[in-house]
Amino acid sequence: MQKYSIFNLIKNSFSNHQNWDVAWRDPQPKKEYDVIIVGGGGHGLATAFYLAKEHGISNVAILEKGWIGGGNVGRNTTILRSNYMWDANGIFYEHGMKMWENLSQELNYNVMYSPRGIINLAHSDAQLNAYARRGNSMRLNGIDAVMLNKEDLKKMIPFADFSSARFPIFGGLMQPRGGTARHDAVAWGYARQADSMGVDIIQHCEVLGFDIKNGKVAGVQTSRGEIKTKKIGLCVAGSSSILASKLNMKLPIESHVLQACVSEPVKPFLDHVVTFGAGHFYCSQSDKGEMVMGGDLDGYNSYAQRGNLPTLQHVLTEGVAMFPNLSRLKMLRTWGGIMDMSMDGSPIIDKTHIQGLYLNCGWCYGGFKATPVSGLTFAYTIAQDRPHELNSKFRLDRFQKGYLIDEKGVGTKTWIG
Amino acid sequence: MSQKYRLNNIGYINRNKKISFSFNKKRYFGYEGDTLASALLANGVHLVGRSFKYHRPRGFLGSGVDEPNAKVQLNKGPKTEPNISATEIELVEGLEATSQNCWPSVFFDIGAINNFLNKFFPAGFYYKTFMWPKNFWYRIYEPIIRKAAGLGVAPLKPDPDRYEHKYEHCDVLVVGSGPSGLASSLAAAKNGAKVILAEDKPRFGGSLLVDEVTIGNKKGKEWSDEVITELKSMPNVIVKNRSQVFGYYDHNMMVMFERVKDHLQNPKKYTPRQRLWYIRAKETIICTGSIERPLVFGNNDRPGIMLASAAKEYIKLYGVLIGKKPIIFTNNDSAYDTAIEFKKNGVSPLIIDTRKEVNNPIIKEAISLNIEIKFNHGIANTKGYRKIKSAIIGNFNDDKSGYENLKEISCDCICVSGSWTPTVHLSSQSGNKLKYNENVDAFIPHQSRQNETTLGSAKGTFTLKKVLDDGFKEGFQLSNKITNKNVEIKVPNSNEKNYKEHEKLWCMPLPKNKEYKRFVDFQNDVAVSDIELALREGFRSIEHVKRYTTLGMATDQGKTSNLNGLQLVSNIEKKVVPEVGHTTFRPPYTSVTIGTIVGREVGKHYRPTRKSPMHEWHKKNNAIFVDAGLWLRPRYYKKNNENLLQASIREAANVRKNVGVCDVTSLGKIDIKGPDSAELLNRVYTNAWLKLPIGKSRYGVMLREDGIVFDDGTTTRISENHFHMTTTTAQAVNVLSHLEYYLQVVWPELDVNVISSTEEWAGAAIAGPNSRNLLGRLFPNIDVSNDKLPFMGYKEADLFGVPSRIFRISFSGELAYEINVGSSYGNFMWEKIIELGKDLKIQPYGTEALSTLRIEMGHVAGSEIDGRVIASDLSLDGMLSKKKDFVGKRSLNREAFLNTKREKIVGLVPLDKKSMIPEGSHLVENYKAPLPNPKLGHVSASCWSVEYDNPFSLAILKDGKNMIGKNLYAVSPLKNTNIEVEVVSSHYVDPKGERVRS
Amino acid sequence: MLEIKCPYCGKRSQIEFSYGGDAKLERPKLGTEVSDSEWNEFVYYRNNPRGEHLELWHHISGCRQWFKVFRNTATHEILSTSKIDEKIK
Repeated sequence: MQKYSIFNLIKNSFSNHQNWDVAWRDPQPKKEYDVIIVGGGGHGLATAFYLAKEHGISNVAILEKGWIGGGNVGRNTTILRSNYMWDANGIFYEHGMKMWENLSQELNYNVMYSPRGIINLAHSDAQLNAYARRGNSMRLNGIDAVMLNKEDLKKMIPFADFSSARFPIFGGLMQPRGGTARHDAVAWGYARQADSMGVDIIQHCEVLGFDIKNGKVAGVQTSRGEIKTKKIGLCVAGSSSILASKLNMKLPIESHVLQACVSEPVKPFLDHVVTFGAGHFYCSQSDKGEMVMGGDLDGYNSYAQRGNLPTLQHVLTEGVAMFPNLSRLKMLRTWGGIMDMSMDGSPIIDKTHIQGLYLNCGWCYGGFKATPVSGLTFAYTIAQDRPHELNSKFRLDRFQKGYLIDEKGVGTKTWIG
Repeated sequence: MSQKYRLNNIGYINRNKKISFSFNKKRYFGYEGDTLASALLANGVHLVGRSFKYHRPRGFLGSGVDEPNAKVQLNKGPKTEPNISATEIELVEGLEATSQNCWPSVFFDIGAINNFLNKFFPAGFYYKTFMWPKNFWYRIYEPIIRKAAGLGVAPLKPDPDRYEHKYEHCDVLVVGSGPSGLASSLAAAKNGAKVILAEDKPRFGGSLLVDEVTIGNKKGKEWSDEVITELKSMPNVIVKNRSQVFGYYDHNMMVMFERVKDHLQNPKKYTPRQRLWYIRAKETIICTGSIERPLVFGNNDRPGIMLASAAKEYIKLYGVLIGKKPIIFTNNDSAYDTAIEFKKNGVSPLIIDTRKEVNNPIIKEAISLNIEIKFNHGIANTKGYRKIKSAIIGNFNDDKSGYENLKEISCDCICVSGSWTPTVHLSSQSGNKLKYNENVDAFIPHQSRQNETTLGSAKGTFTLKKVLDDGFKEGFQLSNKITNKNVEIKVPNSNEKNYKEHEKLWCMPLPKNKEYKRFVDFQNDVAVSDIELALREGFRSIEHVKRYTTLGMATDQGKTSNLNGLQLVSNIEKKVVPEVGHTTFRPPYTSVTIGTIVGREVGKHYRPTRKSPMHEWHKKNNAIFVDAGLWLRPRYYKKNNENLLQASIREAANVRKNVGVCDVTSLGKIDIKGPDSAELLNRVYTNAWLKLPIGKSRYGVMLREDGIVFDDGTTTRISENHFHMTTTTAQAVNVLSHLEYYLQVVWPELDVNVISSTEEWAGAAIAGPNSRNLLGRLFPNIDVSNDKLPFMGYKEADLFGVPSRIFRISFSGELAYEINVGSSYGNFMWEKIIELGKDLKIQPYGTEALSTLRIEMGHVAGSEIDGRVIASDLSLDGMLSKKKDFVGKRSLNREAFLNTKREKIVGLVPLDKKSMIPEGSHLVENYKAPLPNPKLGHVSASCWSVEYDNPFSLAILKDGKNMIGKNLYAVSPLKNTNIEVEVVSSHYVDPKGERVRS
Repeated sequence: MLEIKCPYCGKRSQIEFSYGGDAKLERPKLGTEVSDSEWNEFVYYRNNPRGEHLELWHHISGCRQWFKVFRNTATHEILSTSKIDEKIK
């Protein structure tokens, strides 16, 4: 495989970039694979990569209905963080943060990991206390967190509303290593490396059904024919319930649309990711200069990758309440993604009652930042047929047993942020 | 200054009204009716901006919303606005505009070094480099890239303008006022439909403003003016210009923004800047027209290279010649109109037509006007850095893969035309699956999914007669479905020029061994070579091409570049365009000011503010308020120089010692009536309710079905079938919905009604040893003795003529009563309490003292009931009835919930009896243990105990009850505190509850 | 923006309503024996089809009635709405 580097870039410049190889092949599906990953999103691609890299399993196919990276990995707001209160989440995502720190080098693809700091604003003492509970939990788990007071914030985000806000800013919790990465690069970087290790990335190949014999996985039926395998990993957040229904399985998941939007690009003035505590708005500024903004779910089951304006109006209203100067910027582009909303807000990475069938779903709003660690642990779960210690709490049976990991404390009304 | 390029006798500007403006600090003049673009062009200014990546000099490509290049910064200070299309902004006196994304100036821009190094910056170059050494991306490379990012500059101050919203319903919404829009509006309006006609531009008429056509024996513009006048006179029609419908949402909801203020010379102070319209239309007719498609050739981005239709528009609307030595470069007939316009206005153009000799009427007309035409020619390259100077043209070889000979021709502008792209954005947003049409070489609407009808050139119909026929027909038919009036009007006759097909050639070949940049997306500097590279590297899906190259992702959203990009991909991949597919069209069609979407809910009006009837009294008495949801509640009443802690200690101590009064109006209240009311309570609360006597209150806990504690409160039996429920302030709304859900959906057999009565009652809690005495004074006519009004008792009484409810309930743990009166008597009640309590040493107390009182009593509140605890965690096991079923009970029987080592509520006292334990601290055995340090629990609430005069906290601690008496550390790494604490009972004060019963 | 026909009030915009999720969930009768898995199904497992979905909505800023909406989750088209005790077509 060609190495990506400044030297190769310069060298290729002199041949007008005519000699770059394809980033990944476009293979025909084989008759049989050791493992089939359904879903060519970030998690599926990462899983295939770690199966090959960590477990030496490279006779793997990724089956993607459309084009790789076209689901939530390509339509999220690219935030990376591990600022969780519950140990199960904190330790999992923190492992992920450490992976992000080395990911560009690991993949030889610049994923633009940018630890610019994520700030959660608090608008009352009670909220500051709730954040302190979370921040202290993070610190005791070895995760970075600092408390910011109003004066700190005035220096960092002077354009925030410190004077006429309905809910004044009291302070905030910051994870300095939190930040952003370039979403497409993550998908493409994993795809390129997985491909180079022999993984077949098969696009425009829809899974139509599964062959289950005597409670064991035997293969899949696809729009490009039948493929045999003994192990299948489902990585189709957004569509998990649909695939599960082909296996007569129901999941503790609802699908909801989450919208995001960007403004027109302007000269950078916001150097952090900031979340609004008196609502659900969050905002960062991309390296192109666009303000990347998001907030609430539209609030009803949906598989349409489109939302409605009232939700965006609501979200932007929160945005202007936090940063009044956003008012004169212009909203350039909006889009929606389908979220796998699990019943306690935390993901599921587990085996199932069908031997050889593995489940990776329920990422709610937060799947992007988990891409490396989800891939790592899911690959482990598939290869070893048992969960990795990091995902040992993300079991499917936790609901029945009551071991819930509910960061927000809203229970099963998934549509309530 | 004279306007060298202004014509005297053409256009719709007001030559009697000169307007001065500045561009890059230089003063110019234009006329009323100009855009910034037309005024600059009249002054011969073409160089207005720089491109995003290579900082190449750029001028105007278009004359409207499709403009990718001419983006300027408008105004200064808090009113500054970045990335404004000069082609859309109407000239007003004093307008100040500057070029953006260039330094030190648009003429000499350091960033243009990128252009000379562009070889090294192909599509996606940043994915391949900046990875070494590790951490340099964030520390070194990214900051440099960020310096170069963005176009204009954002304001940093709040927006001084205001915006408003409007909701409308109509029968037929017509988007666009070209011939289709006018015809369908008129037909629908005459047939009695309620019509809204929305036009994005200041002038109505669309193509009729510039095309040489007649309708009903009138010139197009005249007919258009007449129709608009007629529509405006009809009561069932709303006609709006400067109004862009930018989103087609579900269930035929259209959203439109109207530019109300910025074009006015003297706006009134409270005129909103823009207005957002939510329009629910029974039928929507989309007549958004089409956008001219550029041609792709070497250095096709220089200032002075413009769409032919834009050049024509500048002549016909504004009387501006974009140049005096024009080349018209086309693959179709329509650009001949532009050539003819030039010729009519005294300028001789040269037409370069990619087609082999064609013999259409319009070509004959051009020839008859002595216009020079070079057929089978293309432009291979251009010259002129800041303004176009010449074109290198050549005769195509047989398969048009190269040129036979090349020669340089000088020019001062090039007007390009690659035929027309229907504007299908709204149709596509509505869910219409687009279909590729070979005749127009573009996607057009195919099958509607909502009540959407697309007409005219937006649908690929380019002949006026058919456009009018369709417009009148559809306007009538769609309206008739609604009005049933059968009033159909006649289609007027029309006359127009005849155009023939275009050639399917958009991307010109390069001369041998030349590597000129041929731009497809101008603003983002995406060239043919970038798309080729993307495909070479395997980014073959159109979405991958878009993301890898950033094609179509600039502020113009690819209005002029998408189809050329698709065509290229299809040529290289040897697929037909429909197989390549198109990227998704999403709202907004053009960028929308965020303030417009937000409207009036800004600043203090972000959310409503709820105030109790006693709010003014609190204010007068130095209350410092705290937000409790939407409510403002007194947190404490400041005396002298007290701080929060001092005041809360004083207030709480006074409750313990004398008597205090607290405004509890914000508590949620629900009125419950009906024969099955007790049964309802029995099902939703965990404890038993059937036998609650009339005139008694009871504390209750509600669970969610998953067994987690949902809310708590006291409920009182007013009469046999009438209960008064209280909820926490935070959950008031959710509890009501919860009850309604069970009553209406799960147990419809229960005969109960529930309604919120939160706003109906003002509430005051009087608490403390003197409270009975005070109560007696307030209600001299009733017996308030412990026998007659015992703990959890209830009485209705008369407060000096005001009907009142007295509940003997206590949150503070003291002898206490809660008095409710009708909201409008709240202040009367409050003042009476203060007046009669004076010599009993009454003091008002706020939420902070209230917290102190409840914490040291071990009463749970929101900081413990956090949506993650079960009743036993809060030592509320006794509240769980064993005899009956209730909501959530079945969930309690689960492994994790039955674990005896679960966390439980306890009290904490610091060993030093001095250090306040920060809320949010965690409990650990050893604060020096290596990380991750196992957490045993967390501190949920802290106070200064007024009873014991030392700090006290509540905590939720693993195996809590067995930890009592042990010492642990309460650590807050965030605050750098480690406090050694003793675990004690959560009931720190009066553990037997004697005071409340006294 | 969805337009929802409240069976009591008529057509209103989405902003007047709040969502209530899967309407096919049936709460086990109080006081009856329910197995762990049945209860788990009721509390946590949802019908989540791509396509026709029967769901609850609450006219929270109107008549405050809960009712059923038969809606397509792929297109957002509402096929019908009905009162809780009415059969949906």
